[in-house]
Amino acid sequence: MEKMKLKMLYSDLKQDIDIIEKELEEALNSSSHLIYEASLHLLQAGGKRIRPVFVLISAKFGNYNIDKVKNVAVPLELIHSASLVHDDVIDNSDMRRGQHTVKAQWNNRVAMYTGDYIFARALEYVTKIENKKVHQILAHTMVEIVNGEIIQIEDKFRLNQNLKDYFRRIKRKTALLIESSCELGAIVGECDPKVVNNLKRYGYYVGMSYQIIDDILDFISTDKELGKPAGSDLLQGNITLPILLLQDHSEIKQFIERASQGTVTEQERLDMLEIVRKSDAIKKSMQISNQYLVKALKEVEALPNHPMKKKLRDVALFIGKRKF
Amino acid sequence: MDATYITERIEQLKTNIYNQLHHNTLLKYIEDAKLDEQQLFFLLLPYLNGENWDEDLNTSAVTIAIVHASLDEHDKIDEYEATNKEQQLTVLSGDFYSGRYYQLLAETGNILLIREISKGIAIRCEQQMRVYEKNKLTIREWIHYILTIETELIHKFYSFYEFEKYNNIMTNSLVLLRLQHELLNYQNGQVSTFIQMIQSSVNISESVEKVIAQEVDMLKDELSEYLHSSNLLKDDIKLYIKNQLALVQK
Repeated sequence: MEKMKLKMLYSDLKQDIDIIEKELEEALNSSSHLIYEASLHLLQAGGKRIRPVFVLISAKFGNYNIDKVKNVAVPLELIHSASLVHDDVIDNSDMRRGQHTVKAQWNNRVAMYTGDYIFARALEYVTKIENKKVHQILAHTMVEIVNGEIIQIEDKFRLNQNLKDYFRRIKRKTALLIESSCELGAIVGECDPKVVNNLKRYGYYVGMSYQIIDDILDFISTDKELGKPAGSDLLQGNITLPILLLQDHSEIKQFIERASQGTVTEQERLDMLEIVRKSDAIKKSMQISNQYLVKALKEVEALPNHPMKKKLRDVALFIGKRKF
Repeated sequence: MDATYITERIEQLKTNIYNQLHHNTLLKYIEDAKLDEQQLFFLLLPYLNGENWDEDLNTSAVTIAIVHASLDEHDKIDEYEATNKEQQLTVLSGDFYSGRYYQLLAETGNILLIREISKGIAIRCEQQMRVYEKNKLTIREWIHYILTIETELIHKFYSFYEFEKYNNIMTNSLVLLRLQHELLNYQNGQVSTFIQMIQSSVNISESVEKVIAQEVDMLKDELSEYLHSSNLLKDDIKLYIKNQLALVQK
């Protein structure tokens, strides 16, 4: 249902999104049947394709040409996809988007080679663009995403972290790639530098909100909706916003202690979810997410008049209300 | 130029690479990147042999070594158990190195080399996947597998800068070194994935040891002949290679 709503939102971009989908598959073409199958495994399981969509919408503010724009939209989605394949090894996840992960379907090593292969194809694809700045932005983004993940592992089960630590982490983990999607879309669309900056900041704010909502959904959604047990983030030691807002809660502290030892029972997981859901941490987290969305909408207001402004607003509002 | 000079240049290259890959958190929990000195030597071979060399080439050589380090990190991941912190950070160190190589070439604007390296990585990954494919490969195909893994990226580097004339010596040397390494490990009771694959390809009457030893001898003969007859390499370089490969002087 939610995915339908999102698709409706993108409906007037459908023709170009279809081009992107086709290009994604073609970019991964390989003489190795296994690497092609493993690479497509996650890609064909769906996904919201929000990064390519942000590229397309941003480029519309300039000289839009899908043949140019796809040269960033395709690699950005591939980079996202490759990092998920590796993330599933790190998180030991068996399910994603309702189906087995590459590492579960085959093994960790296959997932490593598949991720590396997708990364390589992404970079090969983006070299169709000769603009050095595009590569500098993308390379910086890739390095920072990994830095964010390294910090996330170092911070696992560490409750004495503050909001600043969390925001810095989610900026790298999620917001940067969405920020870059908007910025690079605007650059290949040859937008005015001020427009590029507005779109870049919009992407950053929306990306921050997106990750906060993701972290909230991990607690309030059902196992079925998530495709994995609710509360998985905390079980793996990731201290997200709702938990940071509850960091003085004694039972949560005990839960984290037990999770770090890997001794949490199913009942304890359900009890933890109950505590988080009944607390005001979810409401406060939503408020923080909304503050980012308000900032995102201000950036939209600063953009020149264009039919795509409404689209940017709608996407931001959808992200704020999404349930998956 | 003597062996000491060559070793110093390799050490200098290593220092450059480690400077580019420095990461406090990674160094806190996992080992430094693994750098193969033989591969580094062949990256420097055109320079050591007197070819025109500048900062751009030096940066490119550093990036090729970084890509090797990145892919080698991912080879350390266990097939079924990668849940400890060290393994998790090893996944990320490979990704970090990969990002750093791209960042270095993006800074210098060497977009075309990024393309060539990316193609090389894709080819190498395809080969690495052969281990998990159901098709039975011949011994020759497994040798090609080793060849691609060891040399594909240096091939891309050579062809990008028109140093193809070094392909032959680089390819045969690196394949020989790898096979010698595999043979020694096998004789010491260690069975690598490559050995397992060779085992699945040999006839019942043949032994794995014999098959690899034959390949080693063949490559040694070829290399000895090449080093004896070729005018491409300086004498000091020839001597260095002979010593590294433990070739009998003809």
